[in-house]
Amino acid sequence: MTALPRLSTIFLAAITALVAVLLYSPLFVPIVSSFFTVSHGDVDWSSPTVATYVSLAENHDILAALRTTLIVGVCTVILSVVSGTLLALYYHGRRSGRSVLQFIIFLPFLMPPIISGLALLIFFREIGLERSLLTVIIGHTVFVLAIVYRTVLMRLQSMSRTLVEASYDLGATGWQTFWRIILPNLSSAMVGGAILAFALSFDETMITILVTGTQSTLPVRLWAMMRLGFSPDINALVALILMFTVLLCVLAARFLIPRQVATQRN
Amino acid sequence: MQTSERRASLLVTVLAFAMPVVFVLVPLVIFLGYSFFSVDQGTIVHTPTLGNYVRFFTDPVFFKVFWNTIVLCLSVAAICILLAYPAAYFLTTLKGRWRYALLMLLLVPLLMSYVIKIYAIRSILGLNGFLNKALVGLGILEQPSTLFVFNMNAILLTLTLLLIPFAILPIFLALERIPQVLLRASDDLGATGLQTFLRITLPLSLPGVASAASFVFVLAIGDFLTPQMVGGISGFTFGRILYSQFGTAYNWPFGAALSVALAAVVIAAILVGERFGRSRGTSV
Repeated sequence: MTALPRLSTIFLAAITALVAVLLYSPLFVPIVSSFFTVSHGDVDWSSPTVATYVSLAENHDILAALRTTLIVGVCTVILSVVSGTLLALYYHGRRSGRSVLQFIIFLPFLMPPIISGLALLIFFREIGLERSLLTVIIGHTVFVLAIVYRTVLMRLQSMSRTLVEASYDLGATGWQTFWRIILPNLSSAMVGGAILAFALSFDETMITILVTGTQSTLPVRLWAMMRLGFSPDINALVALILMFTVLLCVLAARFLIPRQVATQRN
Repeated sequence: MQTSERRASLLVTVLAFAMPVVFVLVPLVIFLGYSFFSVDQGTIVHTPTLGNYVRFFTDPVFFKVFWNTIVLCLSVAAICILLAYPAAYFLTTLKGRWRYALLMLLLVPLLMSYVIKIYAIRSILGLNGFLNKALVGLGILEQPSTLFVFNMNAILLTLTLLLIPFAILPIFLALERIPQVLLRASDDLGATGLQTFLRITLPLSLPGVASAASFVFVLAIGDFLTPQMVGGISGFTFGRILYSQFGTAYNWPFGAALSVALAAVVIAAILVGERFGRSRGTSV
């Protein structure tokens, strides 16, 4: 960009700062509230406390919901990475039917979650599958599949064809080429996709509300508690989740940005 | 090919087709089918009828809420763009590492739990919330106002706060793609900064604005959690009406028909975004 007059730069910087404040205010409120007592919008700065964190550790409802969330997350990651990778391998370099099925894979991501959730709800009822953790896991897998598929497919497309050809020239079988060449090259994209899938599953609320049975995941539990107005230990939980999600994203970025782009292109 | 490989390839083919078809396409088709059913005394009648659609278009209540929700979400998209455009523009004036560090900073809030953000925003907007405190403290308001809680304003503000990052990214990418040579040429030919912006930067960034508007609109209109949480009794949106058909009203076929209407709007918005998001090339 060309140099701007100073006045417009200050104006733009001010709006950017305003946007940053708007975006971060909902993150800071729970964190501040987790360390200080807040009543009627006034923060009591004089008495920092970790009492909320202590009572969080004793909140069995929340701990159970956390366990459920982790179980769902891990199952979703395994299912979506295996099927997403298979789909990417299958559609890579194939034309027929690809665009149609790719569109179907992306549908749950494009449709509002309330529609995907309701469609699954009716589907499970029609086939007589009781609402349980299994239905939640299916719902999450369908929802995150597009992300894993896309991540792996992009890596496949950037992978040099000559590696595979060299492997065949040297006498390797299809399986050997797959295990020794293709899979190791895809592994970081798979790990990155897995982290993204886990993060999405960790936060997914709407579909879960609709297809869950008696066990609720963390966001659903929070949702139920908030509608009644909830206890201060939730703020502590919020602060912890914030740190956890930021960590996850740093990790995902590390795996998804290839470190050896130059060598792969040659 | 060896038999084991052929068998594996067949298995992969079946898996590749089965998963998306069984768990995505079939549920959506069944859902679409439901919209043509009806309900009689609490049980679903599996005879095709257009009754649900007729009711949606003729009953003034449903259509009015539908229309109001579309207007609300268009407003959200407009406000998001008005805030995101200057911010994205500012980012592109920065050099090197700063540019991407600040971009990351503005995108990180996307990762934070959605439910928690809605709750926090509600506590900011509430009668005893930080916003009212600040406005009273600055002397703008005499006493805390109920203007921002449990109504349409609250939904508008909350959705805007949640969705700004989705507007920043496409606009930033469009601005970044504008070739520097064009700007320098414009400068060399004697255009002022404002002229260069209006004649070159703005037109070339419009595809990004279209994508941003379509993103924000689609996410806003599909959201149910925000209106449910901050809308109260007077903040009634289409998503809430739709959901109520599956809960209290227990009319799944009518709810499915309302979902089809929602999906139609979403698809239209995506297509419009795609059309205008790609209409102008930025390559030289």
